[in-house]
This record gives sequence, C-alpha cells and structure tokens, in this order.
Amino acid sequence: MGAIMSPMAGCCETRGHDIIRARLVFKAAVLNTPPPLARPHMAVLLWALILSAIMIEFQHVFKSYGRARNILSDINFRIGAGEFVFVSGPSGAGKSTLLKLVGGLEPPSRGAISVNGHRIDEMPTRARPYLRRAVGVTLHDTHLLYDRSAIENVLLPLKVIGLEQSVAWTRARAALDKVGLAGKDDFNPVEMSGGEQQRLAIARAIVNRPAILIADEPTANLDHETARRIMEVFRDFNRVGVTLLIASHDKSLMAHYAARTLHIDNGRFTDVQGVAV
Amino acid sequence: MKRWLRQHRYALQVAVRRLLSQPFSSLANVLVIALTLSVPIMGASILQSAEPVAREMPVSPEITLFMNPEADRQTTQETAEKIRGEHADEVSSVRVVAREQALDTLKSHPNWGDALAALPGNPLPDSIVITLNEHTNLAGHADELASQWQQWPNVDLVQHDSAWVQRLEAILQFIRIGLALLAAGVVLVVLATIFNTVRLQALTQREEIAVARLVGATESFVRRPFLYLGALTGLISALAAVGLARLALTPLNAALDRLASTYGTQLQLVLPDPASLALTAIVVSILAAFSARWSVTRNTRF
Repeated sequence: MGAIMSPMAGCCETRGHDIIRARLVFKAAVLNTPPPLARPHMAVLLWALILSAIMIEFQHVFKSYGRARNILSDINFRIGAGEFVFVSGPSGAGKSTLLKLVGGLEPPSRGAISVNGHRIDEMPTRARPYLRRAVGVTLHDTHLLYDRSAIENVLLPLKVIGLEQSVAWTRARAALDKVGLAGKDDFNPVEMSGGEQQRLAIARAIVNRPAILIADEPTANLDHETARRIMEVFRDFNRVGVTLLIASHDKSLMAHYAARTLHIDNGRFTDVQGVAV
Repeated sequence: MKRWLRQHRYALQVAVRRLLSQPFSSLANVLVIALTLSVPIMGASILQSAEPVAREMPVSPEITLFMNPEADRQTTQETAEKIRGEHADEVSSVRVVAREQALDTLKSHPNWGDALAALPGNPLPDSIVITLNEHTNLAGHADELASQWQQWPNVDLVQHDSAWVQRLEAILQFIRIGLALLAAGVVLVVLATIFNTVRLQALTQREEIAVARLVGATESFVRRPFLYLGALTGLISALAAVGLARLALTPLNAALDRLASTYGTQLQLVLPDPASLALTAIVVSILAAFSARWSVTRNTRF
C-alpha cells in the first residue's frame, strides 16, 4: 500500500509556481469560477485541501489478459493533484498497461482504481467515456488521423462533447498555439516532423482541459533537442496544475526533470525514487 | 438540446463525407439495393393495376341450366317453376330456352349454319337461363346455387361465367403471396448489403473510432455516423428504385397498350401512390439503420 504523497514531493518549482498551480487547480475544481470566499485564510485552506487531493490511486491492482500471467501484480500508489510523475521500466514491464488503466481505456482484473475521485473498477462501461474526457491521453503511437488537417485532429475531442463550432475552433487554435504549432492549422500530420506530430497529439489531449495528462513514451524516437522541447510543453501544463503521468525509459530525461518516478519491472513496483511505496 | 443537435449534425456530416469519400463503392451499393427494391415496386404496380380490373369486372349474374337431352319440355318447365318457387328472393328472372330456339339461334350464325344443316337432328338440350339478384359475393353465391342445382334430376350441366373471374382472382392472390415472399427476400438483401457496407466502413474507420474512444467518445457517438450512413444509403436506394421502376414502366406500358388495344381495351401500369412509396422509403431507411447498428456493434467492439 503506497503512502499518501504530498503533491509537491519531487517537484522543484519555485514558491511562485506553487501559488500559480494552486490557483489553477482551484479554478479547475470549481469550473473556472473565481473563489466566492470573502476571507483569504479560508481560500488558502481550500487551496491546501485541493492540493492534498488524491488524483490517482491504485489499491492492490492486478491486470491480466485471459489466463495469461499478470501484466501488473499488486500495484499500489497514490498521485496527488498537480504532481509530475514518471513511470519507468524496461519494455514490456507493464508501463503502457498502467497508463491505460489510469485513462480508463481498460478495466483492472482485480483491485481498486480511483481517478479524479471516481472508482474506475466500479464504473459501468458506458460511464467510462465521461471519465476519459477528464484524462488527456497521448499514446506511444500518436494515433493521429491522416485524412484531415492538424486542427481537425485537435477539434475531434470538442466534437465529441458537442461544443459550439466557433468556441471549438478558438480552443483548438489556442491548444495548437500552446504546443508551438500556431499557424500550422491546415497542415496534414504527414507533412509534420515526428516532434510536431507528438506535439499535435498533446494539443489534442489537452484541448478538453483535462485534470490529468498521461503520455506513453512521448519522446521515444525523437532527437534530444526535440525531446526536450516536448518535455517543456508537458512541464508548462504541469505548472498550471495539470497532473502529469509520463511513461518513459529515458533515464537522463527523468534525471533532468527530477520528478517523482514509479519504477515497474515485470509487472511489479520495484522502486520509487525518493519515496517509499 | 443544442449540444445533442450539434452531435447529430456532426454524425450526419461524417456519414455524408464517408459516402462521398468512396463514390464508386457507395454507388455500387445504392445500385444493388435500388435494383433489388425496384422488382417488388414493379410487382406492386402490376398488382395494383390488375386488382381494379378484377374487382370491376362485371360478374355475369346469369346461370345457364342445360337439361338432359332426354328430358321433355314439361320437365324443363317444372324445373324452372321449382327455381322460381324455391329461390324467389335470389333470382330476378327465369327464362326457358327451348332446344329448337337454341338451334335456330345457332343456325343464324353464318359460321355455324352449314355445319348444323348437316346434322340429322337437333343435338341441343332445353335450357333455363336464370338471372340472379345482386349479391355481395355474387361469384361465390352463384357457385353455391350452381352446385345445388347440379344435383337436381334431369339437369345435365350448370354453367355460369364467374369461373374465369375467380381464376383471375386466384392468379392475383398468387402474385400477392409471391410479392410478399419477394419483399421478404428484398428485406434480407437490404439488411445484408448494409451490414456488409458498414462492416467494411467500420474496418476502414478503425483508427478514427479508436481515437474517438481515446478522447472520450461514447459508443453512441461512435455508432451514430454509421446509423446515418445506413439510413442515407437506404433512403437514396429507395428513391433510386422508384426512379428505376418508373423508367421501366414506360416501355412496359407502351407494349401493354399495344396488347390491350387488340382486346379493344386500355390498360396502364402505374406506380403505387406517393404516400405508399414514401412509406416504403422510410421503412427501408429504418431497416438499413437497424442493420448498420447491428453491424457496427458487432464489428467495433471496444
């Protein structure tokens, strides 16, 4: 059973960043409305409560496909709101499966999973899409649609929620701008480099303003400079309060960002740097 | 409500885009369904045009009783009286035609005159011509009376003219059953074609479906464009089938007109009324949408 983590654990941002994050998490939590609190100390208390909120929690989670061996065995951890967490481990260790469980893309075989306050394992299948809207996902394969332009790829999550067209276009353009793809609205993904495609996938993942962003090997097959730029994009989102869970086996990357790291090997947690699990 | 409408509009746009993205494939599907649908539509046209002919055909309310050649005039008169007495309510007139009178009538016909002159005697029997009152089921009633009178002594043959009308009615009934079976076959063809089209589309759009689910699309959102695709294909096919049937009726009517004129009558095949055709198109669309839903549910399991 994992210990409750402080959301600030493993983070190296300044106090200023903490305050920005706190404000944004608070805003996200109350649907972007300003705090209706007259007394500042009450607001601070509420922020503290929100910051200590558990965003993701795994309790004795097992995952297997059919009668095959367990991909994940007895996984326990907690991730607080606004944390930046790496999931590391060799290929085939179960990193992608773990992320899919967090994203509600697959149910666990056993155990309890809470994401954003909802129990995924108890959730009926038809309710899971609504949870997925609160979790931005970029998989190892970017899953971009090559029969449409970059902005049309980003618009898809907004079409899914039936957002008004003009608002949707404004938000999609803003998302492209945030990942550094401003002006590339009409580009087809095939015309983009690997790094740009990855950033496009991130834009699509964040356009719905998710509380959690999960990314599976977002920098694999990218050169160091492009990988660094992608990670900067992620860090910018984390700074505004988005909880980040990134699967990677790039040790230098993890060392550079010095975030909390969950290490999986052979379906089990073997090490969590800096934190006892 | 607005959000719901926007999602449906999006699904319709996606369905139209998918139909247009593979124009030849879509056209081939529409043609297959339209050609299959046009057959029962034409069958219905024929049936609809033939039914009034059968219905309005005047069933001759006359029954002719031919007596045994051995029966004498007295017996014939007694039989006529018996009919008048027993069926006073059902018959409007009973007329005895003597054998001599019948022979004279025949002899007056130029084609028969010489042949009959060669006969040694009069081979014709006495006969009684009975005119029936109007009856809701005249043909059936005439049959009943005929079979009853056939049993009487000295009656050789009872003849009435409703037999061929009944035959026509039987043929129409046969066509009606055939048409119902054909319609059932057409329903199967529509279901199978749409099922397969949607299956192929679902396979082609596998990536888009996966991405939509990834970003939080509900199963309804994923399936809706396919439902529209099926319904649109059904609707376009039904309209095309009506067009094809109309095209085919033009040369058929020209040929039928030539045939009917030799009988000194006029006969035209017309399409079923617009309301029936609209209903057919709607039913085909709904069936196609159901088939699409079944197919997409089977072929895009999460």
